[in-house]
Amino acid sequence: MVGLTEIGLTAAMGALATIAGAFEDAESDVGSQSNPNSQVQLAPQMMNFHRYFNKAISGEPVSYMMYGAVAGTVTWVMMTKFGLPFLAAAAIGVGVNALIHMAFSTTAHLGRIASAAEFGHPIYLDVVLSHLGPIAGFGGIATFAIISLAYLQWSALKHPFPLPLLAALWGVTVGAIGSSTGDVHYGAERLYQHYPFGGGVPVAAHGNITRKAETGIRNSMDSVYFCAKFGCPLTGLCFGLVVFFSTWAGLFGQWGAVIAMLLVTLGCLIVSNRIEKWARENYGTYEDVELDEICDAV
Amino acid sequence: MGEGAKLNARGFGLAVPLLAVSFAMAAVNWTAVSKLWATLILITYGSVLVNVGVHYVPVGGAPAAMATATGVGTGTTQLAAGSGLTGLITAAAMSDKPFSVILANGAAGAAVMMAITMLVGNLIYVYGVGCPPCSAKVDRDPLTGWDQEPYVTPGTEGHGIPTVSFVSGIFGGLLGGTGGAMTYFALYKVLGMSAALAGVLAMGFFYANAVLASYNIGGTIEGYHDPKFTRVPRAAACSIAFGIVASIIAYVMSTYV
Repeated sequence: MVGLTEIGLTAAMGALATIAGAFEDAESDVGSQSNPNSQVQLAPQMMNFHRYFNKAISGEPVSYMMYGAVAGTVTWVMMTKFGLPFLAAAAIGVGVNALIHMAFSTTAHLGRIASAAEFGHPIYLDVVLSHLGPIAGFGGIATFAIISLAYLQWSALKHPFPLPLLAALWGVTVGAIGSSTGDVHYGAERLYQHYPFGGGVPVAAHGNITRKAETGIRNSMDSVYFCAKFGCPLTGLCFGLVVFFSTWAGLFGQWGAVIAMLLVTLGCLIVSNRIEKWARENYGTYEDVELDEICDAV
Repeated sequence: MGEGAKLNARGFGLAVPLLAVSFAMAAVNWTAVSKLWATLILITYGSVLVNVGVHYVPVGGAPAAMATATGVGTGTTQLAAGSGLTGLITAAAMSDKPFSVILANGAAGAAVMMAITMLVGNLIYVYGVGCPPCSAKVDRDPLTGWDQEPYVTPGTEGHGIPTVSFVSGIFGGLLGGTGGAMTYFALYKVLGMSAALAGVLAMGFFYANAVLASYNIGGTIEGYHDPKFTRVPRAAACSIAFGIVASIIAYVMSTYV
């Protein structure tokens, strides 16, 4: 039978996952690490010089799998070999991971920007120094939340996988979700904000990213300010729901879990279909729009 | 419309028997069969399921992240791995239960991750970017019958996740999750590895198949209505080859090392 304690634990895991998802997306926005990174990389070739931080260490799921595995393993060692309590061990694990994260970010950014030197693109050292803090901070909060939910699942819900493996697997999931949901807000909206709202980015406009901020020249920290209002919370919501539903369903026994998860899946399908219908009715068609009209900067 | 409907039927026709055979296999008591044969069949069939499942997942890669292509805005391997490994976690939570339960939980866990991700993805396309979900590969959505072409932004290949792609993604999650859980079962129950080692190996096998599928797809696919879906037989052949090698390595590792 499902106890209130277990439901509370899954809810706590969902809450931690929400924090992890939101900060994972913030981290990928401040470092431009995601699929929209292709545009930041393409911009200098289109003679659009910029002050974005440009790191693409790897795909987000893989890099978050690494962060989860590194932080999880160090936490595990600190707990089992040195007898530290979980919170202290996790703090050390996340700290070690933050150093690795910053080293990867620096080499990835400098390597990528240096490759644009043949188009005359400069390396702004102040961009490197000012962005490393937020990258490590957002990444650290996300990693800490992932480790914590893996710890809850391992210690309280008795999952057979050890903590580092759970942290690595949830890292893959949070990375997949971050790059599928929140990054669309960054890539399709924030990077092309000087184009009219309400359409995809035509191929002809690729590489022509927005380079001016409200005042001065835009950098990647301005992007977080914008995306934190919509993309980041939705990413957090998505990962929170995934963790909550997949764990909560498991409390209903072997077949109850399957039925619960399939019902959630069906519910998502219905809601998505209604949203599609709403968008079609309210936004209308593009028949009167010329390609030049969209591609010309406003 | 005609071509779309044909592909649609083919997609359904593939997914349903694959899932049916998986659950028919669940009825058999695998531990009674020789260990090597059971491993060989389970890992090879699991590999095929993962590889075919990835073809169902609607991914647009980097272009979709700029709302330039239909599908979820990330790479094929990444999304499939995210959903399949969520399935692996839900499957492993039922480690001490029978085969059919592990399989069903893996499938449902992966499907629920796919469904929530695609739903939130659509929320961002509709409310964050301001474009209705639509496909540029078919004139009408084969499931809802809604017109697609007028809603596509000029200069793009569609954006968002229309209903047909959503359903296809759920199929992809179900197949991928079943395949991952089947591999995990073979390693954990049949070969008697520890849960942690079985989990790591299952993750590795999953990634290998997802990457094979990714090469076959070549960037973007909208789901089973996409003309690229016809490349599935080649992917299945690749996975059979991979599965045989992988299962022999796993068997040798667990028996002689």
